[in-house]
Amino acid sequence: MTGTTRYDAEVPTATRGLARDALSLEDIERRVQDRFPTVATEIAHGELTFHAAPDVLVDLLSFCRDDEELSCELLADLAGVHWPAGEHVIERQPSTTGWPEYRVARDRGVIEVLYLLRSVTRNHAFRVAVGTDDTAPCLPSVTGVYPTADFHEREVYDFFGVEFEGHPDLTRILMPDDWVGHPHRKDYPLGGVDIPYEHDRFIPPPDERDLREVIE
Amino acid sequence: MTATDPTPAARSDDEVFVEGADWETIVDAVVDDTLTVNMGPQHPSTHGVLRLILELDGETVLGLKPVVGYLHTGIEKNAEYRTWVQGTTFFTRMDYLSPLFNELAYCLGVERLLDIEVPERAQAVRVILTEFNRIASHLVWLATAGMELGTTTVMTAGFREREHVLDLFESQSGLRMNHAYIRPGGLAQDVTDDFVARCDALLELLPARIADYEDLLLENPIWRDRLEGVGIIDAEACYRYGITGPLLRAAGVPWDLRKAQPYSGIDAYDFEVATDDACDSYGRFLVRLEEMRQSMRIIRQALDSLPGGPVMVPDRRIAWPSQQSLGADGIGNDPEYIRHIMGESMESLINHFKLVTQGFTVPAGQVYSAVESPRGELGYAITSTGTNKPYRVHVRDPSFVNLQGADEMTRGLMISDVVAVVSSIDPVMGGVDR
Repeated sequence: MTGTTRYDAEVPTATRGLARDALSLEDIERRVQDRFPTVATEIAHGELTFHAAPDVLVDLLSFCRDDEELSCELLADLAGVHWPAGEHVIERQPSTTGWPEYRVARDRGVIEVLYLLRSVTRNHAFRVAVGTDDTAPCLPSVTGVYPTADFHEREVYDFFGVEFEGHPDLTRILMPDDWVGHPHRKDYPLGGVDIPYEHDRFIPPPDERDLREVIE
Repeated sequence: MTATDPTPAARSDDEVFVEGADWETIVDAVVDDTLTVNMGPQHPSTHGVLRLILELDGETVLGLKPVVGYLHTGIEKNAEYRTWVQGTTFFTRMDYLSPLFNELAYCLGVERLLDIEVPERAQAVRVILTEFNRIASHLVWLATAGMELGTTTVMTAGFREREHVLDLFESQSGLRMNHAYIRPGGLAQDVTDDFVARCDALLELLPARIADYEDLLLENPIWRDRLEGVGIIDAEACYRYGITGPLLRAAGVPWDLRKAQPYSGIDAYDFEVATDDACDSYGRFLVRLEEMRQSMRIIRQALDSLPGGPVMVPDRRIAWPSQQSLGADGIGNDPEYIRHIMGESMESLINHFKLVTQGFTVPAGQVYSAVESPRGELGYAITSTGTNKPYRVHVRDPSFVNLQGADEMTRGLMISDVVAVVSSIDPVMGGVDR
């Protein structure tokens, strides 16, 4: 465990916290953009997202944590999403519904990492989204700002292969230690691996199996 | 990773590797008395398959490292290949002690993407059942914590009362656990006619039983000795590790998503957030006891003002087409509806077929929906690309996050206290490993 990184932000307590006025999404947007003009914002479904570049990530999160107005004490969630390169038309039947068809083309694959920051004292939450190229995904670790990111970053490394620079112990967390590949990437082959059988024998995965051989 | 590998070349002289029948050599060679011990994953006190690597000096814990992943089932990945409704049957299996919270948090996210308002009756039933689920979950916590600390009376009592709550769930959803009862848009089916009577009977029974636990434990010197001053973590450390739920409330912070970000109309009910200033395991015990009482308060009010009406959105593109009820033959049937789709309306038959086989589509976007589960903030980060399947669902499970505090909470304690501390965190490995 890490947990050695301490910070001196004032601790909200029962007496100090929870009563302050919540900031509106626009206020949060303004507050962050005053300090980080390069950060793009997006409000959708009643949620605020900042799209930041990897090099400002640590500064941005430190600012959100230490700023008197934002005071985001909690890194509530950290999740990865893989958007592979190429053109994707998702199959569906548009005739039954009125929603638009999803069609997108990307010239480079991106792994998007979402940081959900939450303020206990101000009762607001917003998201910081950072993209990294999926051929050699690499992001700075935020364990120095939020030690809780330790497990989360290990999970994103495990599932997407994102190298978090500066993470104290970046190892697999949910998959077995000797697992090959990062299963939540969209280009991860489904259909699986050889299945161990007795006497050190292996049975090929179902989609490669010769049924006659198995029956014999 | 490679830097810490104990490769033969990197072994220093004072490192000792136990190979058997060499006790004398070991005793001579040991310079400091630290010992690394592996606890679990098959250990009765580790709530499933949690493995703890303990760094010990005698019986004193110098460090603790949780190792998780033994129960990983790839539910998040699986859900990417299932329709939105099928998702509920997967996510309900994550944190198996609070299945309804999993369903609720997931459905709230899907509903926010769909931009639909769930009928009032469905919202009230959701609140009633999830609060009963909170009671059931805390009862299991009490039972297992009691078992691990040696009071088997509490164990049998806790599981006994929980069984009554599960009976209620079974009567409404057909299943004791993993209900898939809360669906995007409302509920799988309306509650039964005797629902209120069943809830009333439970609300009659539980307060007396909780008073029994208090009689048994509040002044029990062994219980207090094992818990008081053990596993201390203050609010500042909770924030650092992202810890929420009873642990944060026992550190004096009245943070509860039911108050802060109300869902399912829970802000209409009068209740208080239980807190304690002790920051220790005993404080968490008191907080959980009080939370059970407050949950009953919420249920009482929700039952008294239970509105009528439908339990599913009227939108025929989303709602499961038939509301089947159980016939005398034990088979779910809706003769009126079958007559309609088979005899009157071809379009209804097509709609039924398409909804059941393909499901509905959800507009593109990203949402994060969170509820206050018995263990803390349970969040679903859902990404949709406008299809009939989720593009990605990430679950922020409170047990997974809270476990990170175990190191700080156990440092300097004895091995036996590790059991008390881990049980006070109340991790559910189904949720941790997902």
